[in-house]
Amino acid sequence: MASRDVVQYKSPLAVAFKIFSVIFLSIYLIWTLLPIFVMFVSSFKDLLEAFNIPEVGDWAGVMVFFDFSPTLKHYQSLFYDNNFGEYMVNSLIAAGGSAVIAVTFGSMAAYSLSRVEFRGKGDLFFWIISTRMAPVVAVMVPLYAIFRSFDLIGTLPGLILAYTTFNLPFAIWILKGFFDNVPYSIEEAQMVDGATRFQAFMSILPLVAPGIAAFIVLCILFAWNDFLFAAIIGSGGAKTLPVATRELVQPQNIQWGAIMAAGVVTTLPMMLLGLVIRKYLVTGMTMGAVKE
Amino acid sequence: MTSGVTNLGAAPLPPGSKLFRARGTSSDIEARPATTTLSLPSRLNPAAPRRYYLYLMAPAIAVLAFISLYPFVWLIVMSLQNVGVGEGEWVGLKNYTRLFSDERFLEGWVLLAQYSAMCLALQLSIGLLLAVIVNGARWEKFLVTALLMPMMMAPAVAGLVWLFLYNGTFGWYHWLFQSLGMLEAGSILSSTDTAMLAIVLVDVWQWTPLITLIALAGLKRVPQDQLEANMVDGASPLRNFFAITLPNLYPVLLIAIMLRFMDNFRFIDAALVLTGGGPADSTKILPIYLFEVAFKFFKLGRGAAIALTLLVVTIILGKLLVRIFEKPKSERV
Repeated sequence: MASRDVVQYKSPLAVAFKIFSVIFLSIYLIWTLLPIFVMFVSSFKDLLEAFNIPEVGDWAGVMVFFDFSPTLKHYQSLFYDNNFGEYMVNSLIAAGGSAVIAVTFGSMAAYSLSRVEFRGKGDLFFWIISTRMAPVVAVMVPLYAIFRSFDLIGTLPGLILAYTTFNLPFAIWILKGFFDNVPYSIEEAQMVDGATRFQAFMSILPLVAPGIAAFIVLCILFAWNDFLFAAIIGSGGAKTLPVATRELVQPQNIQWGAIMAAGVVTTLPMMLLGLVIRKYLVTGMTMGAVKE
Repeated sequence: MTSGVTNLGAAPLPPGSKLFRARGTSSDIEARPATTTLSLPSRLNPAAPRRYYLYLMAPAIAVLAFISLYPFVWLIVMSLQNVGVGEGEWVGLKNYTRLFSDERFLEGWVLLAQYSAMCLALQLSIGLLLAVIVNGARWEKFLVTALLMPMMMAPAVAGLVWLFLYNGTFGWYHWLFQSLGMLEAGSILSSTDTAMLAIVLVDVWQWTPLITLIALAGLKRVPQDQLEANMVDGASPLRNFFAITLPNLYPVLLIAIMLRFMDNFRFIDAALVLTGGGPADSTKILPIYLFEVAFKFFKLGRGAAIALTLLVVTIILGKLLVRIFEKPKSERV
């Protein structure tokens, strides 16, 4: 780039768009990151400091936001007084359990759906996908009545099963796309060499392993972030992090510092996981319809 | 063809006769012409027994039947009953006929349509513009990572953070809107004029990045040669965008629209935390109303009837979506 003699002509329109895009992007970035930033910073603020806000129209007063002495007491109160350790374990078991069930059963089902043709396959498929797409509240009405008769309300197994309603169809749907991309001839070659069918299936698993790992993480993310199922099906014995966070909002005295700290505890692990599986995120969130 | 190949054109051996063995034989070698039979093990790679696939599918199907099919049947049964906390009694179609005179049910649909339309319009326009700007930018990787962040947040937690930001005495957005002169006295969430906009804004904040990412994936596939050819012909960048980029983006955008549309039906976490349907029912979109009927007042029978209407609409939408999904690969982006 040292000597670039060609003078590039830029039309006024292009220059204007460039300027506009820089401004737009800056505003958007501030807008999108501000709530997260406020959450992080406020979780280290003492109660009164969090309420500091400038007068209306006092733009220079924004700096008040950074005027505080950091404290960890909200995090301490979460784990010592509010049992957040237990809720975190609940969240982990519920999300992890449903993810493991979903991906284990899902990969077997997805493999066979990818390899065999039969009448009614399209209908079976549609049933699977519409289970995933169904509104959570609508699913929960009958599920609540059924789980009540099985005494599953307020238990972790109940919550795991509830999360499986959206995670298992998701896993089947996504992983089928993965197995479709693995040529059948690989298994054939294995079987010619004397492998059984199950061994042949196991032999192609490494080929889809990265995808499977990524989708275990996505299943965990969906379940971890759920609020409705946890609030109703898990109410009582299986409180998860989002529900516990919500319960810090009391009508009388809202502990904003603790809420923000709980928000950080709930959000941070998922943000980190999201970065790890960045490559598969779009595929996963669009049910495999869009590949990056 | 499960029987395998056992007999290659030769007449079957008489029972009791020994086969010719080439190897591992010692005492009883029988001199017979090798041409008579060629024996293969009867079960060498039996061709695809469908039973086998069925076994692999069985656990998933069983679980799904218990948590999806069985509840669906239950939902229909419940909608014909008056179910509360205890046993239900049959009431026929009363739950359904009541819906037509239930103003909040009808209003719920209207509000849901409004809510979805506003969310989609904002997300689509902002998301697309953002994708065009970010595409090929110098900091693209960093920008995309920053954009991802809101999507990772639990919607309920996002709702709580925004509850803080909207707060009428110490919320930063409250301060911002007042300083800009866009807001009179009174808090954002307690006014019927602004509450709906407020929950739309949270949804836009959290899910616009998804539209951006989808559009970005689509933009990478816009054929560059067409763009160049058009430019050589003297088209302006703006015209290029509308004549080539946008038509190429159309399929992915359709998917994005459908997905977001269905998610607006699916998730009410943030809205539930922020307004819970208030003030004065101005944000009581149908799923929130259903939540109230079923889990606040525990009228599960009526809830089931409402849930069924919601499900039917979702299933119709889903059918459309799957039709887009299952287009042959060549047509898909």
